[in-house]
Amino acid sequence: MTTTAVPESIDDSPAPVTADEERRRHQRREAWRRRLPLLPALLFTIVVTQVPFLFSLWYSLTEWTIVPPSDREFIGFGNYTDLATNEFFRSALWTSVLMTVVSVLLSVVLGTALAVLLDRKFFGQGFVRTLLITPFLVMPVVAGLVWNNQILGSAFGVLNWLLETLGFGSVEFVSRFPLWSIVTVLVWQWTPFMMLIMLAGLQSQPDSVLEAARVDGASTSGIFFQITLPHLRPYLELGVLLGSIYLIQVFDHIDVMTGGGPDSTNVPYFVFQRSIGGGWRFGQASAYSIVVVVFSIIIATFGLRVLSGLLEGEDAA
Amino acid sequence: MAQVRYDEATRIYPGTDIAAVDRLDLDIADGEFLVVVGPSGSGKSTALRMLAGLEFIDNGSIHIGERDVTLVPPKERDIAMVFQNYALYPQMSVAANMGFALKQQGIPKEERQRRVAEAARILDLEPYLERKPKNLSGGQRQRVAMGRAIVREPQVFLMDEPLSNLDAKLRVQTRTQLADLQADLGVTTVYVTHDQVEAMTLGDRVAVLESGKLQQCASPREMYSRPANRFVAGFIGSPAMNLLEVDGGDGSGVALGSMTVPLDGEVGRSVGAHPSVTLGVRPEHLALVPSDGDRTLPGRVSVVEDLGSEAFVHIDVEHRGETTQIVVRGEGESDVRRDDNVAIGLGGPIHLFGPGGERLN
Ligand SMILES: Nc1ncnc2c1ncn2[C@@H]1O[C@H](COP(=O)(O)OP(=O)(O)OP(=O)(O)O)[C@@H](O)[C@H]1O
Ligand SMILES: [Mg+2]
Repeated sequence: MTTTAVPESIDDSPAPVTADEERRRHQRREAWRRRLPLLPALLFTIVVTQVPFLFSLWYSLTEWTIVPPSDREFIGFGNYTDLATNEFFRSALWTSVLMTVVSVLLSVVLGTALAVLLDRKFFGQGFVRTLLITPFLVMPVVAGLVWNNQILGSAFGVLNWLLETLGFGSVEFVSRFPLWSIVTVLVWQWTPFMMLIMLAGLQSQPDSVLEAARVDGASTSGIFFQITLPHLRPYLELGVLLGSIYLIQVFDHIDVMTGGGPDSTNVPYFVFQRSIGGGWRFGQASAYSIVVVVFSIIIATFGLRVLSGLLEGEDAA
Repeated sequence: MAQVRYDEATRIYPGTDIAAVDRLDLDIADGEFLVVVGPSGSGKSTALRMLAGLEFIDNGSIHIGERDVTLVPPKERDIAMVFQNYALYPQMSVAANMGFALKQQGIPKEERQRRVAEAARILDLEPYLERKPKNLSGGQRQRVAMGRAIVREPQVFLMDEPLSNLDAKLRVQTRTQLADLQADLGVTTVYVTHDQVEAMTLGDRVAVLESGKLQQCASPREMYSRPANRFVAGFIGSPAMNLLEVDGGDGSGVALGSMTVPLDGEVGRSVGAHPSVTLGVRPEHLALVPSDGDRTLPGRVSVVEDLGSEAFVHIDVEHRGETTQIVVRGEGESDVRRDDNVAIGLGGPIHLFGPGGERLN
């Protein structure tokens, strides 16, 4: 908006403030005119997310069990201080961290490798790309079920059939390695997502820069590590952050594969177990979920900062 | 340093059936500055990229020095290339950009720094060594790209329209610096441009390409005074040479409108062999003169482009029953006006081309 100097009124119009005041009013009207169409959506969002959040916040400060029914009793930060000493919570927290970090890192590395392979022209490229993307399109529950029964399971699992055919004994993967079984499925699902982000990164790299590096005498791996990887850095950061935000909340896979057995209960699943999953301790469960929300917000803030950095970089290039 | 030889080198891009570069034969001497010029899409970049090893050579061969490099990958050719968009490494500082090639060769850090500092001094880049390319102006980026090439001390410099992203004034200035630099370093240089002024001022020799075929390779002066064919005649020179279809007649002379241009013996015989030939005259070899029978051509002025030091006068004349335009160079600050009736006289050499475009005289 241009702010032109308002010439001082020389005539005897009622009040000299009007020009300034008028402009401010106009701006306010303009601002509301833009905001108004957004209001219904905003109200809806507030009602379905922020109001429940406030309730959770309140519940987390109370001692409240539904079965057997008891009165809600305000206990301040008692639930939070208990967290530090609760062994089950600590173990769930550790599982969350391990599951998220390992899955994200593995899927980023695999996704980058696949993106590099896909970034060159070959016959059937589009077909292969579509095939590689499909795992990302499968619903989490379905992915968990398919892997649990058809691949890892001992009764119908392909992997066990293969092992037995080759003369090894069958292995109950999911019950023997619950965490790693779930990580495997998560990596399978999230590698395509990372691959797409990295592919976008690779394709935004001008050919001439790579050609210049070739003429300058760099080897293929030299070009990758000295030129391409630094170029991909913001994309890698973005992938890691988006992946972390999603994977810290994994629930479906755990529910259908292990049902939260030892080693595979992460914080969200733990919250579920404590509340509607049978524990009915809503006060405690609320405190856990608040902790998860705070973590997620921290990660998301970083993520958004990276994203805007990425967009600025594109502008300047 | 080395000479470069293209030997029937051909490039046919996959999925096309015409060659982008068609049996190119070029011999470039050690230390020579060769400019490749041609219209857009004529295959200049392709020819350069073939020498760089960035394009596969479908046929023929390319030699650098004594070595056949037809199948040698770019990094083993010992060449340095300046790209049109500079292709600087965006994540690296200016110093790292310039030292990159040396680092790949495993040259120790002190020597690298010494050579980068030296190149930065030559190119006035010293204050910018720690900056990233995106924080430089277009002209500074161009110099970084040059710097990246000269620290290499390569056998051959390849440059693909390195000045085309600069504004007109900077382009003239950089052009002079470039000529100086190349003369000092004495490195064989192949320089691609579509700007014929660059070609004429920079090159020891100029090669004109059209549709992937070499039209002529000669010194700028010879290219200008004796174009090998009709295409080169029309392409080199600004404003362009006047080219007119004339009747071959009996070979004693050709008629340009009501003016007769006499021909001598040998030329006349080769002209007389064709029913129709092309007559070419440069604007500066025509003049506005007092009318003088069939030795001058009458016409009417349509546009006067007065540049101060000289003026180009566009004149409508009657030729073979049609009105065509001829450009004549006159003196600056001329008093010729639109719609004046004038007479054109011949004051210099003419060029004659046969029906296939080949030179006849
Ligand atoms: N990768 C490619 N695949 C197919 N055809 C190509 C490819 N690159 C260039 N060509 C074609 O080859 C011909 C020569 O292209 P080239 O880039 O060498 O032209 P140029 O002389 O450098 O033109 P300009 O002055 O516009 O840069 C053109 O007709 C172009 O369409
Ligand atoms: Mg080109």
